[in-house]
Amino acid sequence: MLVIRRRAGESVLIGDDVEVEILEVSGAQVKIGISAPREVLILRREVRLTAEQNELAAKPVPFSSLVGLFEKMKHSPQGPESPGDKGR
Amino acid sequence: MSSVETKYFGAVSAETGVVIEFPAGLPAFERERLFLAIEHPRTEPFVLLQSMCTRELCFLALPVSAVEPAYRLQMSDEDLDALQLDRAANQVSAEDIAALALVVVGPDGRMSANLMSPVVVNRRNRRAIQSVRWDGAYAHNHPVELPVLAAGTEGPLCS
Repeated sequence: MLVIRRRAGESVLIGDDVEVEILEVSGAQVKIGISAPREVLILRREVRLTAEQNELAAKPVPFSSLVGLFEKMKHSPQGPESPGDKGR
Repeated sequence: MSSVETKYFGAVSAETGVVIEFPAGLPAFERERLFLAIEHPRTEPFVLLQSMCTRELCFLALPVSAVEPAYRLQMSDEDLDALQLDRAANQVSAEDIAALALVVVGPDGRMSANLMSPVVVNRRNRRAIQSVRWDGAYAHNHPVELPVLAAGTEGPLCS
């Protein structure tokens, strides 16, 4: 990993089209400004991580294991009830 | 009466749950705007988030407080705006919002919950966002221990 020390107001260039400017440094936070062509996707790393996690969460869970899960989760025995009887 | 095709229960009446709207979708699912949030005694404390337009898309979610009782929500001004919550208010009442963690069930049956990016629902207008935290306070794959305590602190999604 390339490590560069920069101060507020200074910037780095990445390739021909991308500029990253340090706008403000205060405490543990750094405010940066990024100039890049429209087609360059810029994401906070956590958003990428969230997208990946959402893909995993969307994977099918076998219904049988789901039922088993709900059974295990149940804190008190409850008979079958018709849906929609809660919170209304 | 409109019905919704669900992944696990066939067609159900939209009355079975609460329709919530993600104006911006969710990361990786930007086009999925409308979900039916289904809470049911048999699935408690899980909440099912069933896409209204994609039958195969149904998220399993747990109230963040069921996963981590001491969970503290932290949202950016942009997130508050998206939910149409007052950004001047220092605290948001738990009665006004619901915070859910999406659950991943691994091949071995182990579960993890994404506490880094809670789904936050404004109970008043039923708008929802997935709020991605920036503070590193919680993991995106927080292990879920069985049995999860019933989420006594969370009421139904909408009253």
